[in-house]
Amino acid sequence: MIFLRRQLPLLITLVTGLLFAAQYYVPHPASEQMLTSATKWLQIVGGFALILGVTSLFHQHAVKIRRQEAGWGYSLVLYVGMLGTIAVGLWTNGKESVEGTMTAFGWIYNYMMVPLQGTMFAILAFFIASAAYRSFRAKSREAAVLLVAAVIVMMGRVPLGEYLIPLSGDVSSWILNVLNSSVRRAILIGVSLGAVALSFKIIFGVERSYLGGGKE
Amino acid sequence: MWMAGMTFSEKMLKIDRRIIFLMIGLCTLLPLLYPVGLPIKTSSEVRGVYDHIESLPEGSVFLLSIDFDPASKPELYPQAIALLRHAFKKNLRVITMTLWVSGTGMADQLVTQVAKEMGKENGTDYTFLGWSPGGQAVIINMGQDLYSAYPSDYRGKPTKELPILEGVRSLKDVGYMVSLGAGRPGVEEWYVFGKDKYKFEMGGGCTGVMAPGLYPLLRSGQINGLIGGLRGAAEYENLIGKKGKAVAGMDAQSATHLAIIALVIMCNLFYFSLRQQRG
Repeated sequence: MIFLRRQLPLLITLVTGLLFAAQYYVPHPASEQMLTSATKWLQIVGGFALILGVTSLFHQHAVKIRRQEAGWGYSLVLYVGMLGTIAVGLWTNGKESVEGTMTAFGWIYNYMMVPLQGTMFAILAFFIASAAYRSFRAKSREAAVLLVAAVIVMMGRVPLGEYLIPLSGDVSSWILNVLNSSVRRAILIGVSLGAVALSFKIIFGVERSYLGGGKE
Repeated sequence: MWMAGMTFSEKMLKIDRRIIFLMIGLCTLLPLLYPVGLPIKTSSEVRGVYDHIESLPEGSVFLLSIDFDPASKPELYPQAIALLRHAFKKNLRVITMTLWVSGTGMADQLVTQVAKEMGKENGTDYTFLGWSPGGQAVIINMGQDLYSAYPSDYRGKPTKELPILEGVRSLKDVGYMVSLGAGRPGVEEWYVFGKDKYKFEMGGGCTGVMAPGLYPLLRSGQINGLIGGLRGAAEYENLIGKKGKAVAGMDAQSATHLAIIALVIMCNLFYFSLRQQRG
């Protein structure tokens, strides 16, 4: 059992990890064919992951409803919304419109999901403004630099700002292209090197947390 | 909450947030009702995308990946409309798709609407492939074999029978690609898993908040242009000479940016005045 639970997954990770790392540098048709098949499999697994996600979500909220935990009413709304959408989606064959006529599934998408998601995103502007007023204070030298940079970029990114201070557009562009890019690139290089190191640790079985807990 | 004995600065720092909400609401609403129409300068980032599409010969394959959902519609929808109008005007073969399942219906409506407006026919002048699971795996799969990643288009027609895809076997046959991304998978994934291996030219579009994060790709030439947020969309609308929702929204964005700057300055003035009072 230990072989199936520990050694086999480690072996599969080692072999596939090394194989696909090497594949990138081998343009032979057999190597390309292997990549085509593997990515097709990845897509299929991706589809099943959706089912797994939905099942897990259902299970989590079913527990909440059964135990009547705080906020269980929202879980009920989730159940009704999800089951209703799935039923309507299956009934309309997943089509939002048929020959130009909107289906019930299309109605749910257009008149429920679109405005709900739009509203969630739109209210961010109000909270950002409120949060900026409450917390964007020049309490230290670093905070002051950040504040000045933010004000310049905000001015330079809108026509009114450029109209009032014509130089703000160019300064904002310079901040984004030079200061922001160089710092961001340094972070990216650091993150990428970390990802390479972590990949090696996983491939060679040093990092095993992905195997989960359980008995050895 | 204001309490007795509070100084003016203290009171102002603890101002009811509903007043701020009202201010932002008015700054958004009034310019939309009474537009000013201030001139919008075109940035080199947006011009990069425009110039490349402009340089493509008629019949070139243009792939547009609509990688966002309705949450980012206000910023990215106008970008997609402007890009599609430009591509259709240039008589490019337009392939559209999405990597975001929740954006599929919206993307279909968007493509159908612009194609109808430009008098283009589905299957011959353009196609919408829809969504396929797998995220970045879809990109690699399209790079290996487009028909394997998408055996049929969104309407269920076999992709191998679509006249628009004649001579297109994989991403290697794409003339230009633009990903309009609101997150992951998006522009970065298209570069890492697509352009880097399959060597097609690409540009990007993203929400305003994501744009600074994509500048390193732009500066290194990994993408040849970037349309950032509503401002980028407005610049593109100006370039193609068809003003739309983005240009209309720029006055509102100008007013809200200025309002936030005013709030930040005020809050700092009150903060320093309070610090001085307290010694």
